[in-house]
Amino acid sequence: MTEHIIFYLLAFVITAFSILTVTSKRIVRSATYLLFVLLATAGLYMMLGYYFLFAVQISVYAGGIMVLFIMAIFLTHKPGKRVPIRQGWKLGSCILLSVAGVLLCGDIILNNVVGVVQYIEKKELTMQEIGTTMLGTGKQQYLLSFEMMSILLLACIVGAILIARKTKTVKNVPNETEL
Amino acid sequence: MKFFNYIEGIFTALRSLAGGMIVTWKELFTPKVTMQYPENRKTLTISNRWRSELIMPHDENNEHACTACGICMMNCPNGSIEVLSTTIETEDGKKKKILNKHLWNYGSCTFCNLCVITCPSDAIIFNNEFEGAVFDKSKLLHRLNREDSKLRERKKDTAPATTNTTIKKENKEA
Amino acid sequence: MLIYSQPLELTKFLAAIDNFLHSNFAPGWAIVVEGILVGAMILVMYALIALVMIYIERKIAAFFQARLGPNRVGKYGIFQSLADMIKILIKEVIHIKKADKFLFFVAPFFVIVSSVLAFGELPFGINLHALDFNIGVFYLLSVSSLGIIGILLAGWSSNNKYSMIGAMRSGAQFISYELSAGFALMTIVVLSGSMQFSEIIEGQRYCWNLFNGHLPALIAFIIYLISGHAETNRGPFDLPEAESELTAGYHTEYSGLQFGFFYLSEYLNMFIVAAVAATLFLGGWMPIQIKGWEAFNQVMWYIPSWVWFIGKAGILMFISLWVRWSFPRLRIDLLLNLEWKYLLPINLVNMLVMVMIVLSGFTLTDLFPALFGN
Repeated sequence: MTEHIIFYLLAFVITAFSILTVTSKRIVRSATYLLFVLLATAGLYMMLGYYFLFAVQISVYAGGIMVLFIMAIFLTHKPGKRVPIRQGWKLGSCILLSVAGVLLCGDIILNNVVGVVQYIEKKELTMQEIGTTMLGTGKQQYLLSFEMMSILLLACIVGAILIARKTKTVKNVPNETEL
Repeated sequence: MKFFNYIEGIFTALRSLAGGMIVTWKELFTPKVTMQYPENRKTLTISNRWRSELIMPHDENNEHACTACGICMMNCPNGSIEVLSTTIETEDGKKKKILNKHLWNYGSCTFCNLCVITCPSDAIIFNNEFEGAVFDKSKLLHRLNREDSKLRERKKDTAPATTNTTIKKENKEA
Repeated sequence: MLIYSQPLELTKFLAAIDNFLHSNFAPGWAIVVEGILVGAMILVMYALIALVMIYIERKIAAFFQARLGPNRVGKYGIFQSLADMIKILIKEVIHIKKADKFLFFVAPFFVIVSSVLAFGELPFGINLHALDFNIGVFYLLSVSSLGIIGILLAGWSSNNKYSMIGAMRSGAQFISYELSAGFALMTIVVLSGSMQFSEIIEGQRYCWNLFNGHLPALIAFIIYLISGHAETNRGPFDLPEAESELTAGYHTEYSGLQFGFFYLSEYLNMFIVAAVAATLFLGGWMPIQIKGWEAFNQVMWYIPSWVWFIGKAGILMFISLWVRWSFPRLRIDLLLNLEWKYLLPINLVNMLVMVMIVLSGFTLTDLFPALFGN
């Protein structure tokens, strides 16, 4: 009973703020609404008892990515400007696409929901299990994908440093900041 | 080499931070300088240099030293002093000014001490009574000479009024 | 698990309440009532601790400056912060023209909610632990990272240059130092082999983590104190609200209760940092125990566990105040230098050293199991 109430509350928050995210005319507000969506999703993980993913969702999306989003928006020209929603065929096609997406997802969920439910066991995963699963090489263990992910991130960091690095000119004696 | 500088820098920083913290730790136990004003009113000592209220010292014969020359009035930069006097003729036919009222406005005084410094007969000084708040603006206008007070005769001028001389000298030096 | 004759412990009292509720209500409702009670207790404690801390901070700050501090409201001014609270509660909340009303309204809630969420997870004593997640430390890090969004939004929605600059500085500072704090805590997680607060405390019965991991643990402790101090925007790291340049930083435009939220969460974040450091490094609510000295241990247990916890956190908070009144404010580039060029590299190496020490059995509990082993 209480679980149902909490679930519908979270679902309502997710839907309402998702719609607000795309319809808001101010970009900072959009980002904030998106943040609410992400937090409510974290709440869903909490309901499932998967605390690790809950914490990951909050720290990575809410605490990390959204902070970067908001800071990046602040660095743009006019973050508080009201941007009007585009009318015409673009709006129509967007609505059409999103309705199609909803239908597709709904179809998949409706037809497979019985199968999905069977897999969900409500027990708390410990950190040790998650750690060994991520860094193990056995069956249903994910060392390879984990390492691929880290290589991707490493590439991102190297790329960022390359872009941010000052170009050395011959005239300048390299000072401390360039080394 | 650079690496050693880096490591050395860390330890130097830690040492200097610890030094700073020792200084503040000692400061934690120094005597506190706060004065608890209304409670320590009886023991409160105000420095003699403190100028708060202009007074005209009178001796036991109700006599003061003001000759009503008006120099203090002329020297006051913002007109806080007003000397009202009448001219009378003495027995030997000389004209002489007699002080009627020496008015001083507490409200507009800037306590610059010019009146005290320039007074030729050392008739006025600043005292230490710092609690000068009143509820009525008109009370700020002080009359410095008392009722029926007279000018002190020159001859016996030397002995009395010793109580305030030390204060006076310091005031003059300041 | 831990039954001793502890006269001041709240265990029996809480069990009595639990029994009473379960015997008088239906099971579901009993849990609802308990949830509400726990939540209310956490909120009350939150406000009370903040009030006490504000008073103590003002007193200690005054002593460091050879002043007396608040001394007019009540004996020694003990009701000063209560009076301040009443003043803040009845002050008008001023709405600003041309500010983004919604975000302006929402921002303080982010700050205070993240701080309350982190506060609710702290282990205050035996059975005084509202949430005991398996991922305790990680949960704490993740919810406390939410607060920065509130600060950024507050700075932007105030429509004020100073607020904006303060918020951006705070953002840069928080993101940087969050990294160091996280790594320092992870070092201890490696040492104790768990993220759950109750297990971490249990593992420190005879040897605090600070001594158990000797050198790397000490380095992690210092780094955590520095970066935790920087995260709370206090002391030498208070650039986001540097009065001389930015009036009050991101909360310049806030008044009344909304300002109170920022104020409260600043103090509580200080408490949370100190409490987490006390839990992870100094044994949390566990009294000082020495193996073999049964009588001594028993005497130590007479002091209730929450007093130990508050005491350890209090000492760390005093150090934080001491640092605050010792050092001048850093420049922003020096601040980021300290993090990225010193704390982070040291931290990474330190974590590696800790892993090696744990794996090769050089911790004190491994070296001297007779003295320190559980």
